[in-house]
Amino acid sequence: MRPEMEKVIAEIEKVISGKRDVITKILTALLADGHVLLDDVPGVGKTTLAVAISRAVNLNYKRVQFTPDVLPSDLVGFSMYDRQSGGFSYHPGALNDANLLLGDEINRASSKTQSALLEAMEEKQVTVDGVTYPLQKPFLVIATQNSVGAAGTQFLPYAQVDRFLVRLSLGYPDYAAQMEMLRNRQGINPMSQVQCVITRDELVRMQQEASQAVSKEAILDYITRLTMASREHEAVDVGISPRGALFLDKMAKAHAFLDGRDYVTGNDVQAVFRDVCAHRVVLKENARQTVDDVMNDLLKTVENPDLHSRGKLKP
Amino acid sequence: MRKQYIGFAVWLFLCCLMYFFENNTGSRIVLACSCLLPFVPAVRRGLLEKDADSKQPQAIAQTIKAFANREEDDAGDVRAYLPGDPVSRIHWKLSAKRDELLARAQAKDLTAEEPETKAVFEDDAPAPEKVLKRAFLIGFVVILFSLLLLFVFPAANQGAQALLNRLFDASEAVNAYAYERFDVSADQPVAFAVVLLSVIGLSLLAMMMLSGSRLLALGLMAGSMLFQVYFGLAFPAWVNVPLFALFVLWMIKRPWNRQTILYAFAIIAAVSIAVFLLYPGVDAATEAASEAVRDRLSQAAQSITGAAPELNAEESESRHVHTQSLTEGNQEARADREFRLVTVEEEQVSMPHWVNYLRIILLLVLIVALVVLPFLPFLWLNQRKRKALEARKAFESENVSEAVVAIFQHVTAWLAATGHGEGNALYADWNADLSPGYAQRYAACEKLFEEAAYSTHEMKEQARQQALALLNETEQILRQRADWKQRLRLKYKEWLWI
Repeated sequence: MRPEMEKVIAEIEKVISGKRDVITKILTALLADGHVLLDDVPGVGKTTLAVAISRAVNLNYKRVQFTPDVLPSDLVGFSMYDRQSGGFSYHPGALNDANLLLGDEINRASSKTQSALLEAMEEKQVTVDGVTYPLQKPFLVIATQNSVGAAGTQFLPYAQVDRFLVRLSLGYPDYAAQMEMLRNRQGINPMSQVQCVITRDELVRMQQEASQAVSKEAILDYITRLTMASREHEAVDVGISPRGALFLDKMAKAHAFLDGRDYVTGNDVQAVFRDVCAHRVVLKENARQTVDDVMNDLLKTVENPDLHSRGKLKP
Repeated sequence: MRKQYIGFAVWLFLCCLMYFFENNTGSRIVLACSCLLPFVPAVRRGLLEKDADSKQPQAIAQTIKAFANREEDDAGDVRAYLPGDPVSRIHWKLSAKRDELLARAQAKDLTAEEPETKAVFEDDAPAPEKVLKRAFLIGFVVILFSLLLLFVFPAANQGAQALLNRLFDASEAVNAYAYERFDVSADQPVAFAVVLLSVIGLSLLAMMMLSGSRLLALGLMAGSMLFQVYFGLAFPAWVNVPLFALFVLWMIKRPWNRQTILYAFAIIAAVSIAVFLLYPGVDAATEAASEAVRDRLSQAAQSITGAAPELNAEESESRHVHTQSLTEGNQEARADREFRLVTVEEEQVSMPHWVNYLRIILLLVLIVALVVLPFLPFLWLNQRKRKALEARKAFESENVSEAVVAIFQHVTAWLAATGHGEGNALYADWNADLSPGYAQRYAACEKLFEEAAYSTHEMKEQARQQALALLNETEQILRQRADWKQRLRLKYKEWLWI
């Protein structure tokens, strides 16, 4: 683990305990310059997590609570007639100066707002009235989706879910973690203790470094075979897209970088495969398997170039 | 081409065949119905097309149309907005156009959409219990009424008795025919045939249930057709028509639709009546033609059973001898003996020449095999050994990365061959027997392997030494622990121990 990222995780763990793996995954996605979809029940600390990350990495944090009447112009800004100057002036939206945007309950937004956000995520820029405004660097979106109380919501369609680098889930804390959380909140707010340990520029540099990690032919072959196998799997209707394969490579690189290496191994691909690909697979209607089963199947049947066998103890 | 189409084509062909051989009124009706049925949309939907419910999209389209129409119709049904009308009733679009407040007329709102949607969905989903109840009631009344007629009216009564008589006559005729046709002793056990037939029936049923198709109905139809044609036992029209109707009903798409069934019945009835009226008798020309064809067929059958099938020159010659000797002897016992002799001769003569060639070839193959076989294992072993040595050569390769990869793969091969690990993973249960640092050294080498395999780094000579040290250590431990069986395996199967 990189010492800088170790520090970041330590800072975030001051407010969220027992979720080290999810925190690591989100930071990996941040390093891979991709966006995160959190699929979770309310109240498990998504917002706390996002705020903690933004404080620890000194990111400009914005939050949009999506409702059906949030409009695209709330996100990307709008031009308005200014009587004094006699022309149109641009009023920036929530995206314009955000490094870390928490899109809460994105499934409550109307589809046009969703698509406006997703477009900005993809292009890293917004265009209003023909003028293009680049977004901040780095730009990370953590969107959340509540499956509870889904009445009157529009779940993201497959094509848009595909644009998120990873889909994660925080889940409930265990006993010890929850006890610690309650204990921590007795005194001062732990959020105020989270300190900035790396700067924004350092993060951008690390992103660049991560993207320069080497994926050799064998790894690319492994990724290709994994995605092809997902398209041919008997229980799968729509398999992993080419974009999914690209993202898998990107995420594996970030994972390798976080591990202190500048080259990707088959284990890196395996480690990120589930998070990157589970939401890109659409099962057939009559499939007897779950997506998890399919993912396990793929990891098991497609030969790992590392020769690492699974399910055996390592020293 | 869909299965159903093929089935239907076969069915039509059979109908034509039956019409040709037994051209009575019944077969004519069946043929006519068969030709016409596919043109009845409801039947075609059931018979030829997939089971997908084609009705639903239509219904949805109709509802959409209805709603669209309502929007336009409303334009005519507005009135001026009066204070007290609910705001929701204001027709904003028209109001904006005419610059005054207009409200929708009150009655229209309630009646506009209800009957239309009802009409659309009524056909699709009738309340099933209600329909069933009504059908039962009607059936009950009809049965009662018919029974009353049968018992009260003398004409109906006597007609029924006559019908019974005819039925008995018909069955008598069938019995007599069957006895004449199948000339077997009465005490012949039938159990085997019964078992076979029931197996066929059960499998057909199972097939139908499995595939959910109408193959069984089609098969039964074809069976009845063949039966009628083969035995020359065409049922009279009044049997064939309902039989046919039953099969058609079976083939119609399920769930059955009242409309579909009525359609099918109507067309069958109409065609029957038409055929009865127009062609009451037998068509003489067709009858003569079919008669001629039957004669020719029976002649052909006789010539086939009478004479032997095609023979080659040698065989026909021997047969010639055979027939000659038969004509000379003229006594039955002698002929029998002669015949046996001739068949033995025939067998001897009929042994073709190529058998000899085959023998020679086999012999040659055997000789070659006997010469080569003893050396084959050595060739194989040598090959394996050369491969193993080549793999070892990579240890001294110029490219250190290559060397590290090869060495580490060798280590893992050792572990896999002796059952201490698989792939790159060490089994934890082996740890107890090892020197303390082995697991750490192994993990370090694994890191080196990954770096060598996946990075573009220049590897140092030190890495090769480290990996070689691990290989030596592993080999030493495993050689000590191996028993004689494992030694043999390692030496001559895996080629690790050189």
